[in-house]
Amino acid sequence: MSDPESVGDFREPTPESSGRPADVSPRDPAFLRARSRVYALLAAALDGDVDTLEEAIADGTFDRLSALVPDEADVDLEPLLEETYDADALSIGYDNLFVVPGPHYVPPFASAHATDPSEEFESDSRYHDAGEAGELLGDPAAAMARRYERVGFTPAHGDGIPDHVAAILEFLAVLADAEARHRARGDAETAAALCDLQRETLVDLGWLDAFHAAVAERDAREGVFAALVALVRTVAAWDVRVGVG
Amino acid sequence: MSSHDSDADATPDSSDEQPSLGRRDFVKAAAGIGAVAAASNATFDLDPSSLWTDDDDHGVGTAYGEYDADDVLYTTCGQCNTFCPIEVRLADESGDGPYSSLVRKLAGNPYSFLNTQPFAQVPYGSDPEDVATGDLEGTGDVDTARWSLSGGRMCLKGQAGIQTAFDSYRVRKPMKRVGPRGSGEWRTISWEQAIEEIVEGDDELGHPGIRDVWAYAPEDEVMSDWEAVQNGDLERSEFDERYEDVLIDTDHPDLGPKANRIVDVGGFRRNFVRTRLWHQGLGSINSHHHAGTCGSSSVMGNVRSYAGQKKRQYPDVENCEYLLVWGTNPMVANKGPTWLAPKLTNAIQDGMRMDVVDPRLSKTAEKAEKWVPVDPGSDAALAMGMARWIVEHDRHDVEYLRNPAEPAAADDGEPTWSDATHLVLVDEEAAPKARAADLDLETAGGGDGDEFVVVDATTGEPVPASEADEGVLDVELTIDGRRVKSAWALYRERVFEYTLEEYAEMAGVSVADVAELADEFTSHGKRSAIMAYRGPAKHSNGFYTQRAIATLQHLIGNYDWKGGQITPYAGFATTTGRYDLGTVPDGYEPWGIPIVRGGVSYEETTLFDRDDGYPAKRPWFPVAPPHEVQELYASASDEYPYSIGALFIRPYSNNHVMAVAGGDEIPDVLTDEDAIPLVVAADTVIGDTSQYADYVLPEPTYLERWENFGTYPNKRLADEKISQPTVKVVPDARPFEEVLIDVWKRMDLPGVGEDAILDADGESWPLHRAEDFYLKLVANVAYDGDPVADASDEELAVFRNAHEKGLGEHFDLERWRAAVRDEEWRKVVTVLNRGGRFEEPVEDYEEAFAEHGYDYDYADRYGDRSNAYDGEHMRYKLGSRVNFYSEVVATGKHSYTGERFDPLPRVDDVRHYDESVQVPVVSEDAPDRPLQLINWKPRTQGMTRTHNSPWLRETRPENPLWINPRDAEERGIENGDAIEIDAGRRTVEATAMVTNGIRPGVVGTMWGWGRTGDGATAQTVDGSTREPVDRYGHTPYEFDTPTREEAGYAKGRDAGFAVNHLQPLDAELGDAGMSDLVGGSNAQFDASVEVCKRGDDE
Repeated sequence: MSDPESVGDFREPTPESSGRPADVSPRDPAFLRARSRVYALLAAALDGDVDTLEEAIADGTFDRLSALVPDEADVDLEPLLEETYDADALSIGYDNLFVVPGPHYVPPFASAHATDPSEEFESDSRYHDAGEAGELLGDPAAAMARRYERVGFTPAHGDGIPDHVAAILEFLAVLADAEARHRARGDAETAAALCDLQRETLVDLGWLDAFHAAVAERDAREGVFAALVALVRTVAAWDVRVGVG
Repeated sequence: MSSHDSDADATPDSSDEQPSLGRRDFVKAAAGIGAVAAASNATFDLDPSSLWTDDDDHGVGTAYGEYDADDVLYTTCGQCNTFCPIEVRLADESGDGPYSSLVRKLAGNPYSFLNTQPFAQVPYGSDPEDVATGDLEGTGDVDTARWSLSGGRMCLKGQAGIQTAFDSYRVRKPMKRVGPRGSGEWRTISWEQAIEEIVEGDDELGHPGIRDVWAYAPEDEVMSDWEAVQNGDLERSEFDERYEDVLIDTDHPDLGPKANRIVDVGGFRRNFVRTRLWHQGLGSINSHHHAGTCGSSSVMGNVRSYAGQKKRQYPDVENCEYLLVWGTNPMVANKGPTWLAPKLTNAIQDGMRMDVVDPRLSKTAEKAEKWVPVDPGSDAALAMGMARWIVEHDRHDVEYLRNPAEPAAADDGEPTWSDATHLVLVDEEAAPKARAADLDLETAGGGDGDEFVVVDATTGEPVPASEADEGVLDVELTIDGRRVKSAWALYRERVFEYTLEEYAEMAGVSVADVAELADEFTSHGKRSAIMAYRGPAKHSNGFYTQRAIATLQHLIGNYDWKGGQITPYAGFATTTGRYDLGTVPDGYEPWGIPIVRGGVSYEETTLFDRDDGYPAKRPWFPVAPPHEVQELYASASDEYPYSIGALFIRPYSNNHVMAVAGGDEIPDVLTDEDAIPLVVAADTVIGDTSQYADYVLPEPTYLERWENFGTYPNKRLADEKISQPTVKVVPDARPFEEVLIDVWKRMDLPGVGEDAILDADGESWPLHRAEDFYLKLVANVAYDGDPVADASDEELAVFRNAHEKGLGEHFDLERWRAAVRDEEWRKVVTVLNRGGRFEEPVEDYEEAFAEHGYDYDYADRYGDRSNAYDGEHMRYKLGSRVNFYSEVVATGKHSYTGERFDPLPRVDDVRHYDESVQVPVVSEDAPDRPLQLINWKPRTQGMTRTHNSPWLRETRPENPLWINPRDAEERGIENGDAIEIDAGRRTVEATAMVTNGIRPGVVGTMWGWGRTGDGATAQTVDGSTREPVDRYGHTPYEFDTPTREEAGYAKGRDAGFAVNHLQPLDAELGDAGMSDLVGGSNAQFDASVEVCKRGDDE
């Protein structure tokens, strides 16, 4: 392996020029486990696990994570910072947005938001204009399925749709956790490969922008899921710059 | 290691600003979500080991953007007889070997519909640059899908073609044997010496030159004089004096000129080597291809079942509802792997039912709805049983069968019609069909009386077939004292000779299975078809079996119907058009009796009287073309009907020692210098057969030479494939036809040199090199019908750059250009830049393709614009009569018994030449040993020609013997046991594979193993001995103990056993395998064997 990471271990990166104290290494198992936990939480929340979502809102987790969002960014995380929500209402909201095709439906998977659909085909589906958004199990799904296959992973989340946002987040959680374990036992080579796979997965999440825009438009009233997707998008963007190293 | 260039545009664009949180803060922020994490799946047990098997994803490369059209040449694969159109991707770095270029990979040709299944080919006009780079709009997105149509589909055998071309055991120089034939010692000689010795003879080896052997006189001149002798107008002594130096035997002038003693055996380049050089250049009738060792009996069984050209049975897969695959394995062979396999699986997915008749569970049978393991050799019983069930249940298409001729058929919308209503003169010699003139019938419109006769269903009167709207099916009557029966009546009688139960018992299947197949076959109207080939046919009763299978389809009249039986031989003109390549100015006309005695009636020869009539000394094949090469060697040894003076073999596609049943007898003949004084082999390696030659001449492999392989009629559209040289691996290798040009020139024979080829304007052109011929052939292809477009300047540049890269100094652009007219050159380049010409599925395809892309069934969905369909019919049609009754067959007689061949399908035993039974079907005889040995072509090998590839030998290092658990248990054999196979005359060692995938009582194996050539044995060249190939390890995987693991290794080229060497020799002949005298095939599935476990110490 020519990957420079394979010879490194937990070395601290060079202190940044800002003069701030040296940060935790992106290869530090503690950081990797933290990333894993965050992705696991987001995966559960975006898979309709409203109890987990409610609990995380209530215990201030999202409040703490909201610090990831730059002050200048025009992102409203306020709904995630409320202290109480009714689980049933959240469940109905989730179903309307992500499960039941209808006026509020936003497909929660990448293929539907691909700017370059994998193929044109004749379809009378109102959710799929030929050559535009709305596709199910397109190229992004195939790409994700290939990644899962590489490490023998089967998503528990995401309703069997490989490029479902919850499945992808769960995958990231699993990879980060596995990387942490390999780092901890000194298997830098495998850890680096797992890191690469996370990076590769993260850089394919550009579709979250379109996804967020669509959710924000349809979840204007309560705004919990719009805020949640905004947070996911923020975490992913942060992670690709800072997290995966 | 990261090869993933992080594309900033692809990441979520939350913010361009610096994040406000560091990793340390992140850890803190996440600290509180432990409970959630615990509930998640984050401890999933990943298996990261596969991350190491590739740098990136599984087998999906990332180097897709690195080449362009200058790196690609299009040609045809020669690894098996599917002959796929392919592209050769030339390597960027070619090292310092003697070759002109290395090959980076081989892939299917995306311009061809044969290699883009299940998708649509790219439009023919597509820019080669766009196609090569995968940038053609609508052909898949290589960045996201990781594939595109820049390379078409190719099987593993094809991909291994690089190892055929770059085999280190290639013959590098012309070689002359040292010591006796087969001694394994050679010395290299110059081409000049080789040609001189072949033509003039050589005292050192003591062989004659072909100049001494050759002589020719025209048939009409000789036979006219012979007739004069018979009439007493010419003295016999004068005849002898006039022709003793010219004829093989003046006592038997019908044997033909001495030129016939120069024999060519090769598979391909037929229009060049056979038609031009051998037939017209030399005047020898003896240029034979491989049919006798292949599917000749199947082909002839079909040929005799149709008035139009139809040699093979194929369905219109896309629209077929029921397909009965019979003794063939299209997922693996029979033009299948790249082309039919995806079509079949898609059709099954779309609802087509496929049943498979085969004694073993083939790759095709695995995917069948029903597998019917018929008893090998008794397939005709199954077919006739089905016919009986169909007729008894009135499931045949009576309306179709009653159409007596084309006009009535056309009225019914039927492209074909049958002879069911035609009358047969049953008491006459050879029982021909009655013609109008035979029965003194007047033909409306003044026909020549040659029309068939039917009984008009309206009037009850006999009339010429074309004058009845409907004929009577069952006819038996006497007209003017001549007894006639309809072909249907005769067929029906034949079918009813046995009961359904008897048929089922003979076939070794249940009555219910026979009924189910017949029921299903007749439950889909015209959208039902049979695909059959070698399995039922390669027995000595194979011809009649194939007839029985073919005529099943007459019962439903599925020919030319969408979803039915198809016959599109559609191609583009090759030897006519701009240049007349098939005619040699002032050429000879070959005549006489072929050495293998095909197409000639023994009774009509002068040998009949000489040898006291029946039985003839060796088999004759009066109604089959002369390609029974299984008889060639023993015939030479017997000098029957005459001796061979010189034998030229091209074993790349005619490796008879391996390919002929009883091929182990051939070396005895080849090493006998009295039997064949001169043996010249043109081969790529010192092969199983060529090792016995006097001279082995280095041949280019298929990647290095010209060719024009045909496509079987299993397609909906027209195509013509062109092979062209893409690399030069062995600098001194010369295509055989080019060597022959020099030989012919030295002998001053016609067809070569100056003024050898005439163009359409009558101007003559020279033939000095292979390209002089093939580039003209390409011009013919380019101009046929609507000529192809001219190549642009950019395409001309691509053509030049790619050929210079591939062929280096061996490419002479100006010489190529000069082979055709200036105005033709750009069209020639268009064709060569695409590896041939491929019809598009619809008119204005480019426009349609731009709209729908690669994944669309244009041919089916574009209505009138379809080039494949004509409404509910195929556009390319058989459009002829189909025959229940073949009067041609009945003109032939069995050369042992003198009995006439049967004009109808029939069930028979598998018999030797003397009619003794090898495999009982209708009789109760017991075979010598209890198990019947069959064989098949494996998925991983084309023929013996592909065994040189270690990649392929890795996949199956040897050929185990399949044996049913019931048979294995009786013999105490377990899976993997070392066993011994006793075939009576020979015993070999093997490994047992115990499987329910083969019928009890039958054992079988893949053929092609057990080699003695191509590096399987040591050969000494110029005093240097090259040892045989040892086991070879090639694997990208790293196991626990590198270089020590047992898996993934190829064994030597001699691994396994040669199944053809276990075949029985004919009981009467004793020196060759069994043959089907009607169809011409060698019987290859009829050995009776016993199997026992070898001792533990072995």
